[in-house]
Amino acid sequence: MRSFKALLHAELMTVLRDKATLVFTFIFPVLFILIFGFLMGGDTGAQTAHVGLVVSSGVSSEALEQVIADVGTLDVAHYADQTLLEDAMGDQKVDFGILWDGNKLSFIYDPGRVQDNYTFQELAQGIGAAFSLRYQDVSPVLSIDKIHIGKAAATDWFNLVVPGILAFSILSAGLFAISGHLTAMKERKLLDRLIVTPMRPVMLLAAIASIRLAIVYISTLLTLFIAIAVLHLTFPVNWFLYTVFVAAAAFGSMGFGTAIALLVRRPSSASNIANILSMVMMFLAGIYFPMEIMPSYMRMISKGLPLTYMAEAMRFATGVTDMSLARFWAITIGLVVSGLVLFPFLARYVVRADRN
Amino acid sequence: MKGILLIARVHLITAFRERVTLFWFLLFPMFLLVVLTLIFSGLGNGGSTNFSVAIVNMGPSTGGATDFAALVESVFDRAATPSEPGKEPLFSLVKPAPDEDKDAFIEREQKAVRLGNLAAVVVIPPDFNQQLMQSIAGTGAGDASVNKIVVYQDEANAGSQMATSIIKQIISGIDREILARTGKFDEQKDIPTDTIWIGNASGELPYVDFLLPGIILMGFFVTGLFGVPGAILFARDRQILRRYWVTPLTTPRYLAGFALGHVGLCVVQFFFLYILGRFAFGASVNFAQPAPILFLLLGSVTFLAFGFFIASLAKTPNAGMAIANILNMPMMFLGGLFFPVGGLPLVLRIIVFINPLTYLSDGLRMSLGVEAGTFSLPMTVGVPLAWILVCVLVASRRLKWDVER
Repeated sequence: MRSFKALLHAELMTVLRDKATLVFTFIFPVLFILIFGFLMGGDTGAQTAHVGLVVSSGVSSEALEQVIADVGTLDVAHYADQTLLEDAMGDQKVDFGILWDGNKLSFIYDPGRVQDNYTFQELAQGIGAAFSLRYQDVSPVLSIDKIHIGKAAATDWFNLVVPGILAFSILSAGLFAISGHLTAMKERKLLDRLIVTPMRPVMLLAAIASIRLAIVYISTLLTLFIAIAVLHLTFPVNWFLYTVFVAAAAFGSMGFGTAIALLVRRPSSASNIANILSMVMMFLAGIYFPMEIMPSYMRMISKGLPLTYMAEAMRFATGVTDMSLARFWAITIGLVVSGLVLFPFLARYVVRADRN
Repeated sequence: MKGILLIARVHLITAFRERVTLFWFLLFPMFLLVVLTLIFSGLGNGGSTNFSVAIVNMGPSTGGATDFAALVESVFDRAATPSEPGKEPLFSLVKPAPDEDKDAFIEREQKAVRLGNLAAVVVIPPDFNQQLMQSIAGTGAGDASVNKIVVYQDEANAGSQMATSIIKQIISGIDREILARTGKFDEQKDIPTDTIWIGNASGELPYVDFLLPGIILMGFFVTGLFGVPGAILFARDRQILRRYWVTPLTTPRYLAGFALGHVGLCVVQFFFLYILGRFAFGASVNFAQPAPILFLLLGSVTFLAFGFFIASLAKTPNAGMAIANILNMPMMFLGGLFFPVGGLPLVLRIIVFINPLTYLSDGLRMSLGVEAGTFSLPMTVGVPLAWILVCVLVASRRLKWDVER
């Protein structure tokens, strides 16, 4: 027990002295949240688009403006002519434009807004259709009644992304913690020195895991609170499930990290492989883009990635989406089992004297 | 000259021998180009996007011209048919079995929406046909408030939101069709619409044409940010530079060779990314013009200088890599390479405005005719040049060419 305490202390000091690890564990998830939050409109409300309107002189725009107001998610700014409107679009003060000369509606888009134009065109199509009816003094006879049946608090795109980023930060922290740390100890011959002492390898692993679990837990909490404070989001977190899941996910990720540590010798190689794996997973696990818009084969790949399930379970634990408890526990236990199988088992081969 | 060429060759060979270097400088930009193009180029075009949607008609099927519920169902059936063989349909429809209790079906599918297994549930109310007929037969315009098709969705799920938005368009189309059929709406008097693209664009820009210049610049940026300090600091740390200095090679000649190698690396990067974008995804942007070439060269040199700037700040290779890693993400995402950066709060806007990537990506896209451009031409050239000047000044004063004794 005394040796374990000593190892715990040593691990804690190592982590606290390692500025790079601290930056990546604490600052990076927050940076991800802030950058993506503001880029995707987390501060202003992602659903509001700015439309610029140019109406020819002597033409009434009352009906058109009413139709635009009925959309409910559009801010209208008036411009005297098309050139001024295009300038405003070039400066991204306006998302898309409308010209109304009394006979024809022209919708103006910026070809550079390729990711957004799909949404703007949909809005424009709706405006065009509704204005056509109103112009003939006809009201639609058919419409849709949208009913939100998800979690009450989760009504923002960002509610879904934040838990995904938390899951990603747990995965990368777990991968880096073991792969980078153990290979660094190996390279510095620290493992050689430790294993000739009465210390059992499992104690070293337990000390590393305990400290990293605590660090990861604090880091996710910090990220979550910053997201809540800065982006004004609400998360009805189930703290029991959250705590259990963060521990299980971190442990499982450490298991995957141990597998990397087994494959490489140098800490830089381990960090690079961990970096590559986490980056690839980040793009394919449906964290930033809904999986429905991915081609079918990419959806298949996505279903094979642990991060996909980690993000799913994290969204459930933070109260963003529903999930059956059975599925949540299956994911959580799956991660614990991965950690239990990979971490101590593979670590036996990692924590041994370097004969070279 | 021979010494310069040899240093350039060494720089290139060293970069290509490092598997990690190959990944970050070549494979990662290629991966990003492939993934983002595959995801976003199909957006809204059909063929690759697929939403699972449940639909249920709560009323009886009456048949005939006034069975509007059947019309709605048939339109959804069409959306669930692939537009051409091998493509995915827009919707995968889930319908209740003939003898299934419809309320139980709705309840089950609502749960599927909540669990994220289904994008939306469309419910046609039991008295839909009757209500619609009354609205149409009523005086003047109909009353849409009583003819609502209910769509259950999860607003937090982007896929569910997109599916609902598409459903809304489909219903709007059906509405017009019904109004036209019943003589309420004269399609001949429909207000014509057209689309105008600002700048020189003649039509909608293919996503790959927007992305490719950004990815190429990202590649140059990563090469400068990681490759230059990495190469310089590791060579200094392992005393390779010290060995150079005992040969007739001078620092300026070493720098010239290094810069040549760096530009060569950027050329290789450009070549691979362009080939991938052009032949795998049909990118049509024309880089073979003086202005884009100058912008690419300016980008390559700016990030070379920036790399030296990082190297001059770090005492060890690991510190250099840590600084590069910290700068990488904010600069990359706040440089307008992948997302528009307008409307950011002041703190982030400062990063956008001092970031050379912002001006280079704007200038390159403007020169390729894929963007109207946010900044003026002198700004897009002047700011990167100012960065080069500052970086060279700082590096020339601070960078140590040998390990401290």
